[in-house]
Amino acid sequence: MTRLFAKLRDRIGTLAVSLIAWLVLIYLVLPLAVVIAISFTTTEYLAFPPVGFTLRWYQRFLADPSYVASILLSAKLAFASTVLGFLLGVPAALVLKRASFKGIRFISNLFLSPLILPAIIIGVGVLQITDALGFARSFPAMLVGHVVIILPYIVRTTLASLDGFDMSLEEAAQDLGASGFATFFYVTLPMIKPGIIAGCLFGLIMSWIDVEVSIFNTVIAESPIPVKVFNYVQYSVDPMIAAVSAGTIYIAFILVFLLDRLVGLDKVTGQK
Amino acid sequence: MRINRFWAAILLGIPLIYLVVFFVTPLGMVVVDSFSNKAGEVTLENYAIVLGDPYYWTVLGYTLWLALVTCVATLILGYPLAYYMSLIEQRRFVKRICFILILMPLFTSNIVRSFGWIVLLGRDGLINQGLLMVGIISKPLRLLSTEVAIIIGMIYVMLPFMVLAIASVLQNMNASLREAARDLGASAFTTFLKVTLPLSVPGIVAGTLIVFTLSISSYVTPRIMSGGRSVVSSMLIYDQFMLVFNPFLGSAIAVVLLVTCFVLIVAYTLILERKQPAR
Repeated sequence: MTRLFAKLRDRIGTLAVSLIAWLVLIYLVLPLAVVIAISFTTTEYLAFPPVGFTLRWYQRFLADPSYVASILLSAKLAFASTVLGFLLGVPAALVLKRASFKGIRFISNLFLSPLILPAIIIGVGVLQITDALGFARSFPAMLVGHVVIILPYIVRTTLASLDGFDMSLEEAAQDLGASGFATFFYVTLPMIKPGIIAGCLFGLIMSWIDVEVSIFNTVIAESPIPVKVFNYVQYSVDPMIAAVSAGTIYIAFILVFLLDRLVGLDKVTGQK
Repeated sequence: MRINRFWAAILLGIPLIYLVVFFVTPLGMVVVDSFSNKAGEVTLENYAIVLGDPYYWTVLGYTLWLALVTCVATLILGYPLAYYMSLIEQRRFVKRICFILILMPLFTSNIVRSFGWIVLLGRDGLINQGLLMVGIISKPLRLLSTEVAIIIGMIYVMLPFMVLAIASVLQNMNASLREAARDLGASAFTTFLKVTLPLSVPGIVAGTLIVFTLSISSYVTPRIMSGGRSVVSSMLIYDQFMLVFNPFLGSAIAVVLLVTCFVLIVAYTLILERKQPAR
């Protein structure tokens, strides 16, 4: 009897946890679903639930050269900063894992520290340094700032993938006569690839959605898409901006899908 | 693979120089600026203003309070979700859906996410419609540009970070510990309280630290949800740099925010370390 009672109580407990979890999950997607729904409304104002179905708002935003230019700028910025972050971050992580000298812990922490520093302060700092170097509020200024904020993601995931890496495999390859480069490209790289891909995709996303760094380092006329939407939303909201926003949600979905396909979502988020 | 000294110096040196130029130096410049004025003199006047005017204290206090509320709320909402994900270990499909639903908002700009809430909280928004239909209220509530809106928006933006931090610890926890507790006769609840919860403390610490630091510097969400009034420190920093064109005062506000954040984090980790017996 008591065992039956205990079992029942456990079941109710599990049920309660599941229920709360799903409510939280609904809370997480509701606003995104609402933005997507609204982007199809036939009304001139934001209507929820949407009235009718039209792709007019998507047409209107895609016909607006300033929005298209913003999206292209954002894409260019995200790709350029990811490539630069990759070129700087992966070699740094490789050396950090192997080398042993005084201060290596400090340097490791330095590479990860932009993650815990308020992004707005990084944005302000980049404005100061690029001003001093003579390229303030330009594409290169945003670029160097974005590299700073995404570098920790790339370094961290590369380091993490090196954690489970059996160094004797490299030694074996070299004992069998492989050169340093051959060892890296045929042994090391394939094994740490998931970590690098995850880091780069995270970097790509963080650059793509950044406002705090971009807003200090751009001019209104040429702003990345999040900044452009931000400036717009502060004064008015309409179905056209919902379509723009929905567009960024579709892109997020594609990136999540890519992460799942290429790396596996549980690996990306540091599980197992 | 052994890397010789020369290559190691280059492979690590270039990224390091990059960080020094575009991360360390700019921070130094912000600090230097905070002690300067328009005439280029060394001065404490910026700090005199920031620390002497109650207004700045109020804003800083509100910033910290908001970050704290966000931390606690995301912990309360996020823990059950993270725990649930560790319970459905075998159901890979359900787990994948959970991950997608958590990552989707994380991969979407804060602006778009806040925009969703503008619609939900609006006068004719879903929340008001729902409350009217159920009959709790007789006319629509003003929800936008209120305290409640800011807090809802902040919790929403920060929740995925908390869930992921806790989930990663719960997932990597040795399941046999829980099984052992159950085999020895502990109820599910006791097992959770005595085994799972204490072991998940590192995740809670990581999650609260991330959420706290991100909340403190959050700019977009408070600005959109508050309807643009200056309520948090990051808005004051923005205003000083981009509207008032007084980077010196802006830098001082930034430094005060940074130092406060740093002190609180150090205090938090020290207190936790003292509580945790050495392992």
